[in-house]
This record gives sequence, C-alpha cells and structure tokens, in this order.
Amino acid sequence: MTVEPALLIAGAVLLMNTRTAQVLVAYIVLAATVSALIATSAAESSLSLGLFVLSTALKVVVAPIGIVIFLRANPAAGDLRPSLAMPARLALAVAFALIARAVAEMPSLNAVPFRDLVAYVILCGVGTLIVHRNLLAHVVGLLVLGAGITLAGAVLAPTLPESVELGATFDGLIATFIGLGLVRVFIAHNPALDVESLRRLRG
Amino acid sequence: MIGFVIAAPFAAALAALPLRNAVRRRWTRIVSALIAALLPSALIGTVDGLSLVFTALVSCLGLLATLFSIGSFADDFGNGAAGWSRKAVYFVLLGAFWSAMLLVVLANNFALLWLGISATTLATAFLVGFSGEAAALEAAWKYLVLCSVGIAFALLGLVVLAHVSAAAGLAPTEALSWTAIAAHGWTSVPTPARLATALMIVGFGTKAGLVPMHAWLPDAHSKAPAPISGLLSGVLVSCALYAIMRTVGTSAALGVAPFLQDLLTWFGALSALVAGTLMLTQRDLKRLLAYSTVEHAGIVALALGFGGPLGWFAALFHVVSHAFAKSAAFFAAGMVQHERRTTMIVDLHGLWSVGHAGRFVLGALTALSGMPPFGLFVSESLLVVAGVAAHRWLPLGFGLLGMALAFAALSRTAIEIESGRGAHAEARRASSAAPPVGPLRSWLISGAAACALAGAFALVVVPWTRLGAALQAIASTIGGVR
Repeated sequence: MTVEPALLIAGAVLLMNTRTAQVLVAYIVLAATVSALIATSAAESSLSLGLFVLSTALKVVVAPIGIVIFLRANPAAGDLRPSLAMPARLALAVAFALIARAVAEMPSLNAVPFRDLVAYVILCGVGTLIVHRNLLAHVVGLLVLGAGITLAGAVLAPTLPESVELGATFDGLIATFIGLGLVRVFIAHNPALDVESLRRLRG
Repeated sequence: MIGFVIAAPFAAALAALPLRNAVRRRWTRIVSALIAALLPSALIGTVDGLSLVFTALVSCLGLLATLFSIGSFADDFGNGAAGWSRKAVYFVLLGAFWSAMLLVVLANNFALLWLGISATTLATAFLVGFSGEAAALEAAWKYLVLCSVGIAFALLGLVVLAHVSAAAGLAPTEALSWTAIAAHGWTSVPTPARLATALMIVGFGTKAGLVPMHAWLPDAHSKAPAPISGLLSGVLVSCALYAIMRTVGTSAALGVAPFLQDLLTWFGALSALVAGTLMLTQRDLKRLLAYSTVEHAGIVALALGFGGPLGWFAALFHVVSHAFAKSAAFFAAGMVQHERRTTMIVDLHGLWSVGHAGRFVLGALTALSGMPPFGLFVSESLLVVAGVAAHRWLPLGFGLLGMALAFAALSRTAIEIESGRGAHAEARRASSAAPPVGPLRSWLISGAAACALAGAFALVVVPWTRLGAALQAIASTIGGVR
C-alpha cells in the first residue's frame, strides 16, 4: 500500500515535532492522504463527488488557513512545547504503529479495508491532543481525530449518506474556528498558550 | 413542521436584532420566545412520546432561561472583556442553543441527533466563556475540547452502528434510524454491536457528565452566566441522557442490552459516588450545583442500568424533576450573584433574611437533596426499589452512598448560607450595594425562578395522576422502541 509510508511519517511528525507550522503540514498531508483513500468511493455520483470535494476543501485548505493566519498574528504560539521527552514521543509513535499492525491482523476485522490506517490515524489524533502543551495542538489533534473517523466512516459504512460526513466536517471546522477565537482572547492571559495554565479551576 | 419548530428559537433571537429601541427589543424577545416555546404543541401526535416529553422540557426551560436572561442581563454576565461579550451575541447564541437542543430531541435518527448534540457544544462554547475572564475562558476551552473528543467517539460509535445495520441489510437511509433498527428482525447478536453502543455511551456520556468523562462539567457549568448554567445543567444534560435512552433502546433491539445496562450501572454508581464525595469539598455555590448535576446524571444512568418498567420510569421522571430543580437552583444562584457579587459559600450568610434569592436557593437545594415534597424524592425512591428488584446490591449501595454524601453537602451549604452570625445586617448591607433592577426585569427574574421551582414541586404528585400513567407508558418504550 503506497499511502502507508505517508500516513506513518505524518503521524510520527504530529507526535514528535515541536513546531506548530510543521505539525500543521503533517496534518495537511494526513488529511489529504485520507481524502485520496476515500475518493474512489465518493465518485459514484455527481452529488456525492461534490459533497466530497467540499468536505475535503474545508478540512485540507480552510481549517489550516485559519490556523496559519492565527500563527502569523501570534508567533509565540509557534512552539508546541511537548510535555513528553523526545524518546518517549518516539516510543509512542512506534507503539501506535505496532497497535495499528495488531489491528490489521485481527481475524474479526479481516473484511474491513484500511483497518490498520483507521486505528493509526485515530491514535495519532488522541496522541496529538495529549503530548503537546500548546493549546493549538488540541485544535490540530481534533482535526486529526476527525480525519480518522472520516476514514472509519468510509471503510466501515460506505453507504452512509455523504450529508453525515459533510455535517461532521462542518462541525469540526466550526469547532476549529471557535477554538481559535477562544485562544485569541486567551493569549492575553497566557502568551505561550501553555496547557499548564488551564489549572485555575480544580477540585 | 418539525423543521419550523426547531428553527423557531433561533429565528426568534434573530427577530429582535434589527430593533434599535431597547424596550421594543425586550418585548420582541419576550413575545417571540413565548411563541417559540408554544410552537412544539403542534407536534402532539406527530412525534413519539419520549421526544414529546423532552421537547416540552426543552421548550419550557428554554423559555424560562430566556426570560431570566432578559431580566438579568448587563449587570451580571460580563464586562465586555471578549469580543463576543455583547448582549446581541448572547441572545443569538442562546437561540441557537435552544434550537440545537430541539434538534436533538426531535431527530428521528442517530445522525441528526449527533449533529444536534454537536451543535449544542458549538453554540455554547462562547456562552460558557462569555465574561471573557481567564477562568471562564479556561472553562470554555475544556468544554470545547473534551466535549468535541467525546462526541467524536460517539460518531465513531455511529459509524460502527451503520456498519452493523448495513451488514444486516438495512437501507443506507435507515442505517441509523432507531425505529428501523428496532423493527428489523435480528436473528443473532452482531459482533461489533457491543463496540458501537459502548462508544455511543462514552460519547453521549461525556456530554451528560458521567464520571470519568466529567472533567469539563464543573468548570463550564459554574463559569457560564446563571441562566446558561441552568440550561446546561438542567436541559443539555437531559438531552445527552435522552441520547443514552435512545441508545439503550437500540441495544435491546441488537441483543446487547445486558452488556450496555451493566456499563451504565457502573458509570452511574461511579458518578454518584465521586460527585457526592467532591460535593463535600466545594466552596463555590455554582460549582457545588455543577457537581450535583454529575451526581444526578449518575442516578439516571443507574436507573437506566437497573432497567425494567420501574427503572425506566425512575430515569425519565428523575430527568424531568432534576431539570426543573437544577434550573431553579442556578437561577437562584444568579440572583445571589447579582445581590452579593460572589457565589463563594464562605461569603454568603443570612440569605434567608433578605429578598427572594435566599428562599429560592433553599427551595432548590431542598429539591436537589431529594427531600419531600419535590419530584426528585419520588424518582430517587423509585430508583431504590428498581435496584432492589434488579438485585444489583453493590451499584445500588454506591449510588445510595453518593446520594447520602450529596444530601450532606447540600444540607450543610443550605444551613451555612441561609443563617450565620450577624447575618441580617451584613446581608442587608450587601444587598443594598447591588445594582438596582427595574420592576419588569425583577418580575422576570423572580418569575422564571419561581416557575422552575414550582415545576420541581408540582412534579411530586404527577406519578399518581393521568399524566403519570402517560409518563409510565412512555418510559416503558425506553427499553426498546415500539
């Protein structure tokens, strides 16, 4: 499978890189690869193709542009400030790849194509949410998780109406922009956007 | 017609936007909210009973929250620190929130229900962070991220459910319809059905605030403006529990009900116990109420886990009673916040002696602690009987312990804030310093809180009326769509 290395590297960059811009590029590669994987099933009718193109444009172009505009206005948010050391992040990336391989070998999932990729992308989404201390990593992590679920939808339930996928995409996009809106105000209190600052409310 | 009913609250909020005259705008908001709340009555006979009960709940409490907001806005909600901290934005988002909740309870399939649940998060993120203060922004961020992750897992559950349905031969348009899934003749238990329903419970349970997915709830519910806290705790949690009820019905059709009920029982027992324990440590009135929501969501999950006609009825009746009691409690907390400029329990004394706020707080705390004569007393009693009938002694024990701890926390707080040394003079001094509220606004605030509290009180007699019999019949459908 030719797309596997692209997804594998993009996932590893998401977990291991410390620069927001580079992680964003990894997300774009990952989302574009996922879209390429499901493109054939979307080309069955002109309506489904149109919805697929719109959904892909929102995920691969519009959401990253929003983050790039935010990054240009707030350069301090460019460092993701990982909470785990490099060896631990590398171990996590390897562990996710091994788990994905184990999923591929599960006999009960033999009939599901790309099952290993679905598992890997979803795990990378959750991992991105966890390993970085910059709040923008949460936004990217949610987008990656959304890409994983889109792939899961395409392989597990290809007959599901495209409107469901489009609705989920819009939801992810709006959540991204709401997140950026909150971060824009939050940056006045916490210029580095460090997740450690989210500890005022406890108990 | 259903689309019209769903869009009405949002349209009503937009209707007041172009008006420049403040008085006309206020009356337009009141009248249009009343119309939006009355419109769902046209749906009687066209949607099923469970949807109808929740639609009535959303409409009734959506109206009360709007009226309370019209009465209390400007002094209490924020200082314009954020770009969205504006009156017009507040009411548009409130309308969108109300419409999104109607979409949840009027959807006829899981895809639309999921979109509605997701839309509630998006509509309320800015409302939670409305004040623009650092703590409110923190709460809004946690709310947005954790709920988005939760509902992403619910979506994954729906994808697996659609896979199960498609494999069984259901048409693509019916793959996520609970009616179609229930009507399908399932000959064996599909292998991924457990995974699908478990993911849905985790996802919708995150929105309902079940432990251990509850981390966002105490922050968001305590930092939002009081009427939004009332809607979040009283109605949005109810909508998430409605989604869980639909999942329970679907699990019965798929043949995985015992597994799902076990899961719910333990989520419920854990939620009641953890929330009850944490309630004892709270020092902020709104945060205490937020943890009380986690406890009550746990009680509903416990009742759904016990199952049977008694368990289903206890769950449904508890959701309705809690929605009214919790809305009343947050409205009352908002009144206290207006009068005293704080909700820290240590700074609140002698509430009973000044104004209406103290009486509403006492009534609401009594209702939430499960004491008679309020509806929650009946539903919690029914829960115990359902637990005994199901022979689920350990989770029932955890649940009872949680309820006892919550009772202790609420009673202690009520005594602490209603009485106090030298309380009378101190209370009068604090209250007189609060910004004045005009007669109409004062009436709207007190009226909304009184109506919510009256609802929690009136519900105590419902089980013995024809309405109670109708509710029992509706509750019996939770365990499987008929």
